[in-house]
Amino acid sequence: MQTVRRISQGIFLLLFLFLFVQTQSKGADELGYPVKIFLDFDPLIFVTTLLSSHSVQKAFYFSLVIIIATLALGRVFCGWACPLGTLNNMAGAIRKRRPAVISISWNRVKYYMLIFLVASSLFTLQLAGIIDPISLLIRSFAISICPLFEYSVRGLFDAIYAFHPAAADRISEPVYSVLKQGVLSFQQPSFNQSAFIGVLFLVIIGLNLVQKRFWCRNLCPLGALLGVLSKYSLLKRSVSEGCNECGACASVCQGNANPDKKEGWKNAECLYCWNCDDICPQNAVSFGFGGGVRGVGIDLGRRRIVASALGGIITVPLIRVSPLASSVSLSPELIRPPGSLEEGKFLRRCVKCGECMKVCITNGLQPAFLESGLEGLWSPVLVPIIGYCEFRCTLCGQVCPTGAIQRLSLEDKIRVKIGLAMIDKGRCLPYAHSTPCIVCEEVCPTPRKAIWFEEAVVKDRGGREHILKQPRVDLDLCIGCGICEAKCPVKSRPAIYVTNIGESRPGGKQLLLS
Amino acid sequence: MNRREFLKLAGITGIGLSIPFEISPVPAGGAVSSETKLAVATGSSPSEITKAAINAFGGIRKFISRDDIVVVKPNMAWDRLPEQAANTNPEVVAAIVRLCYEAGAKKVKVFDRTVNDARRCYAQSGIAEAVRSAGAAVSYMDDRKFKDMKIGGEAIREWPLYQEIIEADKVINVPIAKHHGLAKITMSMKNWMGVMGGDRSRIHQKLDRSLVDLSLVIKPTITVLDAVRILTANGPQGGSLADVRKLNTVIVGTDQVAVDAYGATLFGMKGSDLGYVRIAAEAGLGTMDLSKVNIIKIDV
Repeated sequence: MQTVRRISQGIFLLLFLFLFVQTQSKGADELGYPVKIFLDFDPLIFVTTLLSSHSVQKAFYFSLVIIIATLALGRVFCGWACPLGTLNNMAGAIRKRRPAVISISWNRVKYYMLIFLVASSLFTLQLAGIIDPISLLIRSFAISICPLFEYSVRGLFDAIYAFHPAAADRISEPVYSVLKQGVLSFQQPSFNQSAFIGVLFLVIIGLNLVQKRFWCRNLCPLGALLGVLSKYSLLKRSVSEGCNECGACASVCQGNANPDKKEGWKNAECLYCWNCDDICPQNAVSFGFGGGVRGVGIDLGRRRIVASALGGIITVPLIRVSPLASSVSLSPELIRPPGSLEEGKFLRRCVKCGECMKVCITNGLQPAFLESGLEGLWSPVLVPIIGYCEFRCTLCGQVCPTGAIQRLSLEDKIRVKIGLAMIDKGRCLPYAHSTPCIVCEEVCPTPRKAIWFEEAVVKDRGGREHILKQPRVDLDLCIGCGICEAKCPVKSRPAIYVTNIGESRPGGKQLLLS
Repeated sequence: MNRREFLKLAGITGIGLSIPFEISPVPAGGAVSSETKLAVATGSSPSEITKAAINAFGGIRKFISRDDIVVVKPNMAWDRLPEQAANTNPEVVAAIVRLCYEAGAKKVKVFDRTVNDARRCYAQSGIAEAVRSAGAAVSYMDDRKFKDMKIGGEAIREWPLYQEIIEADKVINVPIAKHHGLAKITMSMKNWMGVMGGDRSRIHQKLDRSLVDLSLVIKPTITVLDAVRILTANGPQGGSLADVRKLNTVIVGTDQVAVDAYGATLFGMKGSDLGYVRIAAEAGLGTMDLSKVNIIKIDV
């Protein structure tokens, strides 16, 4: 059974990686298979989003499949499908020596986390995405692991090319071009906080050396949710009379399910990995529908449940009583992707999965730090100097699993204002330095250009007169895409730059009268 | 390739390219050869008028030899659709690729350094698909292939240029004629910005002079100016169909200054109204005086 399970895990991991790589533009308007499909099947995101925003994307009803599967088969998702679980499995295999069965009761922590998240989402705070395994995995891969991997691969091939271009053309370059087409991103991605997010992920993977599947046993809130459902599952484990309590099964259990305890088997902790069945020298363990052991419940302790719930509730005002979180004092750099909901509603939905950042065609969408308060940590924010918002691109709205970024038609997208550009006359070449430029006007993408120019007569140092074109911004037409800022030749601090003033989403900072 | 090799190559190519089929002296010091010829073909099929205009020069075989590696350089810098006239007409580019293969070219390469995202520009312009089906090798720019080169111009002394265009046996420039805020109109000479590496926005400080400097080192075998649709305002990327005019015209020539001078007339201007055309003519790069150009008009 172990082989069958590993094949299943492999298929789901490969499927995840395939969809992840596909979450990238090929130049067409529509994206084929975004990785959001995995999130669509995630019941934790479904439940918390439903509670926090009182609305849910239709695609989330796919997660009912996982709920029904769990009710029928127990936590098979954890044991057989979850890509993070599979990675934990693989990392755990590095440690050959069987760890002593740690008898700590940390496995309850995940339930407290679940209670915390559900309680806070009930009061409109959506924090589940931070530690939901699927969201966490996509984010870690998009922001950190994938850029790290690509940097190494590119570095390797570039080094070979630089060392001996002719040999590289014959040997390494064909491999490189296959990788470029099939695996690597179009450009080397790079993100703020990449190292931070990456280290967190590596810590989770590294914890497998302390205890195999440490994350799945002790921390994963989705595992906790499925564990609760698993109590009612139809597929049960039973131990026949042949058991001589040798304890072999306890050493291979991937959860903390007490398989050696016969009647004390913890249903909710069982990942249905079948290891106990495989290893049993007496062949006494079997899984089957009907009959079997009911399994013991999880004793979380009433006080701790209440404390976790209260913790979740108190976190709501704790995080929100910050001047950063109020709409007037939102950071001017908080430029949300086009189609984003009003800030409050946006935060209730965004699960910080990082798919929009992965798919962003210019790499301009970056994980926020405190631009929108603590609540907005790792939510997407456009940093035009890194990458502008491509005029005819609608991909971020296509991949957003929760509708925090609405899917826009092309006609709507090109009218949405995400901010406004303003000119710094003290740095702009035609204004401050009587030097022709007008690159901002050239690249301005609105059909009637939002950046226009005035011809002005200016004198140079020698007193000679020159006619110069000086850029002006038409605030009615400007949509704040930021290409002017990205392409401005005054690279260090662009002479034209976008802030979120004038964004067209409701509750945004308005500027113009009409 | 070192600097000396490049100069040698550029020199040889330049001489080779400027006298494609007639033995005429290399124009120097503003001297204008009366042999300068332009073919202007008009008709409803972009590929047919392209062929007809090239045939007026005796056919593609006058320019492309067997086993040549040819670079066909369209303008596909913008994430726009063909009908928006911000990029070269895909049918024109594809027709040229086909002609090159008919003449026995070994390989035809098509690329451009785009301003918008390259994937979208290549796809949305329709050019990548059209030329791929004609057999061309379409590639995105590879940063490693930009090498610093001596330009030796007044505005640009040195700049990274794309090696594939320098190393090609033949280069066919296929720009589109369209409006531009600073240059007024962009055509063939401005199209060389698409093989520049580095931060090219800086050349806007001396745009006209820079374009001439570039055109002095990158010389096409032949220039095919696409005026099937022209963009008359809000260029160089446009976006509004109201700014597009359909002229169903293609202009072919071996003198890029003459081509651009003729292109100016499509917008109601003269070559001398454009700074870079004026400077190029003064530098002896070609002729802008259309009265001295043999213009063959073809209706297809």
